[in-house]
Amino acid sequence: MSLPTQSSGLFTEQVSEDKLVVSIGPQHPGAGHFRFTIRVEGDTITECIPDPGYVHRGGEKQTEYRTYIQSIPMIERSSLLDVTNITLPYCMAAEELMGIQVPPRAQYLRMIMSENQRIISHLYWLGIQGIFLGHSTMFMWPLGDRDIFIDLGQMIGGARITYSYCVPGGVRNDMPPNFKDRAMKVFEYFESRLKDYERIFFRSPLFEKRTRGVGVLSRSDAISLGVAGQVLRASGVKSDTRIDEPYCFYKDISFEVPVYDDGDTWARCMVHLEEMRQSMSIIRQCLEKMPQGQIKVKLSPQQRAQAGEAYCRTEAARGAMAFHIISDGSTKPYRTKWSVPSFRNLIALPKLLVGSHVADMPAIYWSLDYWPVEADR
Amino acid sequence: MVAQELESQQQQQQPPKKGSASLHSHEGPGLNILVGKAREVIQQAIVDPVTYLANWGRLYSLWPVHLETACCSIEWGAVSGPRFDAERYGILEAFGSLRQCDLVVVHGTVTRKMAPRLRFIYDQMPEPKWVIAMGACSISGGVYFDSYNVLPGVDQVIPVDVYVPGCPPRPEELIDAFILLQDKIRNSNIKKTS
Repeated sequence: MSLPTQSSGLFTEQVSEDKLVVSIGPQHPGAGHFRFTIRVEGDTITECIPDPGYVHRGGEKQTEYRTYIQSIPMIERSSLLDVTNITLPYCMAAEELMGIQVPPRAQYLRMIMSENQRIISHLYWLGIQGIFLGHSTMFMWPLGDRDIFIDLGQMIGGARITYSYCVPGGVRNDMPPNFKDRAMKVFEYFESRLKDYERIFFRSPLFEKRTRGVGVLSRSDAISLGVAGQVLRASGVKSDTRIDEPYCFYKDISFEVPVYDDGDTWARCMVHLEEMRQSMSIIRQCLEKMPQGQIKVKLSPQQRAQAGEAYCRTEAARGAMAFHIISDGSTKPYRTKWSVPSFRNLIALPKLLVGSHVADMPAIYWSLDYWPVEADR
Repeated sequence: MVAQELESQQQQQQPPKKGSASLHSHEGPGLNILVGKAREVIQQAIVDPVTYLANWGRLYSLWPVHLETACCSIEWGAVSGPRFDAERYGILEAFGSLRQCDLVVVHGTVTRKMAPRLRFIYDQMPEPKWVIAMGACSISGGVYFDSYNVLPGVDQVIPVDVYVPGCPPRPEELIDAFILLQDKIRNSNIKKTS
């Protein structure tokens, strides 16, 4: 670590005639709540040191003095972009400790909500990626379409984005009867919309030029760095928790995992696009197969868990999300450890930025789908 | 009774008649009236229109800083998006420089690492500037009120004009906050900004 990171690294410093040390963030159009320092030689980045932790709110510590159900809204806040996906592994781990079987209808509802959240999260990602590549239309379109999926989630969850939907023992509310018709209409609209996205953005020469061969992460590097999610799949590794270790009823549902071998920014963007299609197909199949029945096992608000450990892993919008809970048999967890995909993808950033141009920095940074609030916990 | 009291008060308040001015006063009462009138005329003819024009100019071109402090920034993204479209109210993020900005929207939790940066950014902005504290975390710490790394309220660091409750606030609430802030600016005195 040769660069100054804290106090003296606040400003741009000229080291020699053609070398600069540039501090980027936290107030920067390309890096919200995150900062990194880069050393620039001409137009080429020679060194990059990320400085995360601007949104470290101590969530892991706080779960230790809250009961199992009280922790849920707080865990959810750490990844507001995919709230169901982050609370799902926590609830699964808590259920394992409490020894509860979740009713099948609740499992299907969880799947529907987490796939819906995946689309919402990817659309937000797409909007920001669009504006980072200088394509303002691609900011407006996905953010407009995102609100339609938010309305869909609101029909089940009751709130706009923070519904604390998964609870230990099941889910909070059942689906309204008109949900299926509404969802089919939305998917029909959005599938035609995705074709427009491809036409205007994903197949445009601007996008190809700015992303092809930019920030290449090779397959061996991706495995040795331990990245997750789209970054891993874009580097040619077929890894998806929904298929590797199926939870809920993912084993009954057929879907494809998009994998690209290129490993560049283009491949990471295409994986996101393809995943939105697959998520819609999963929700369609869930709505077909969903049984009637209970949605929740009634639990005491002061539910005790057995002493022991539980580890549960799910596929969140950004990759594998895992929760490790250690319980001492009381109403509160003794310790929780959250393994979040954003933080695991951050390690790839210095690797990708070194050797690339300054102008490619936003495209590479956001193609990792790094969400600092989730990474800092 | 009341009418009699009012009459007696009016009699007391009547200006002294000519020739009965007090010995200590060197100026006549007429001059005081003239100065008062002139001040009123200047106020009505110059200060009020200038205040109105300056406030009107500031009102519909509030440029917020692009500083995301926590997760409320997602709702900020929705507000900038096409459905809610804060640009209708003249709110458009200034990506260029802090010198162009006159509004800080604190997006949620401010941690101990972010707080000095927030103050640093606030100090760099030119003078007529306003602050909206968005979300429960920036008002009182919210869900993280007992965390070791979170400020219990952003008003410990910078002065706040409008508080928007909610976790996160819906975009409609944020738009309501913009309208409240615009009301505040409309009725403000240009001599004492911020």
